[in-house]
Amino acid sequence: MSQNLTMSPDLGKEDWDPDVITRMIFIGPGAHVSEQEVVTAFHMLGLPLTIKNTCYGSMISGKSEDVYKAIKEIRKLDPNHIFTKERGFAPGDPRRCRGHRFGPREGFHQMEKEYRILGFVSEALENPKDDVEIEDKKPVDVDEFKKIMNECLENKE
Amino acid sequence: MVKIAVYPPNSLILADLLERKGHTPLVLQKQIRQKIKDPEIDSPPMNISEEDPIKGLKYAAIEVPSGVRGRMSIIGPLIDEAEAAIVVDGAPYGFGCIGCARTNELSIFLLRNKGIPVLELTYPTNQDETYVMVNQINEFVDSLEETAEEE
Repeated sequence: MSQNLTMSPDLGKEDWDPDVITRMIFIGPGAHVSEQEVVTAFHMLGLPLTIKNTCYGSMISGKSEDVYKAIKEIRKLDPNHIFTKERGFAPGDPRRCRGHRFGPREGFHQMEKEYRILGFVSEALENPKDDVEIEDKKPVDVDEFKKIMNECLENKE
Repeated sequence: MVKIAVYPPNSLILADLLERKGHTPLVLQKQIRQKIKDPEIDSPPMNISEEDPIKGLKYAAIEVPSGVRGRMSIIGPLIDEAEAAIVVDGAPYGFGCIGCARTNELSIFLLRNKGIPVLELTYPTNQDETYVMVNQINEFVDSLEETAEEE
């Protein structure tokens, strides 16, 4: 595990600035834009941001005012399929970046799980439906359970 | 604008849906950012300092394991700040970022006991359940806006 413990990172002035924030931009399944288009759109905004292209979308870092302005603009590309989330560490921070250590990045598993239902959320945002009813899941009836149990026991013999 | 605690506190979907409505989700990443930008912590990634279990005493008794208290020192301020909360229940194993079942229980208990409006949702597994979840969140947020306007 010692490989996973990095030394104190050599952080720049921006990394210590409390006003500098990082946000992750996710492109949900069925989006009408690609990761590259999003990154290009960020560059075209001409704001002083650090922009990183990633497999799930992109990551931006900069002064909070610029970051929120950029996100507002980028959401317009595909409002129902672009999702954003805060990130504690800056892009490429050696304490989290996979380029400096082994194993999946912390937070990846949560992202993987949420990505599975992200398509459903996009659909719900795109075509809102009010009258949806869900059937309550009920446990198996005792008599039926007995019947199945006895069948299994008979088959075993 | 209402400050809403979300559980799990690093949820992308919950935080994003609230931001779309113009509210502030209280997410753990902001706390972590504060922590790692603290110049006094010089041994990352060991981001928990010896001070943290002491701070956690505000939320958990001394008999509670130091791991829970250390975690509470980061999550606790979010609970203190919350004006409303959304909690997701029945999520699959490994969902969430806390890595400690007791901390999860304690945090949800504190949110429920705080006397703020709490929306409890079931983790959706299909399209219809997701429609219900999104509708519930939107209705909850709208009701908060109405209450804020009345006040």
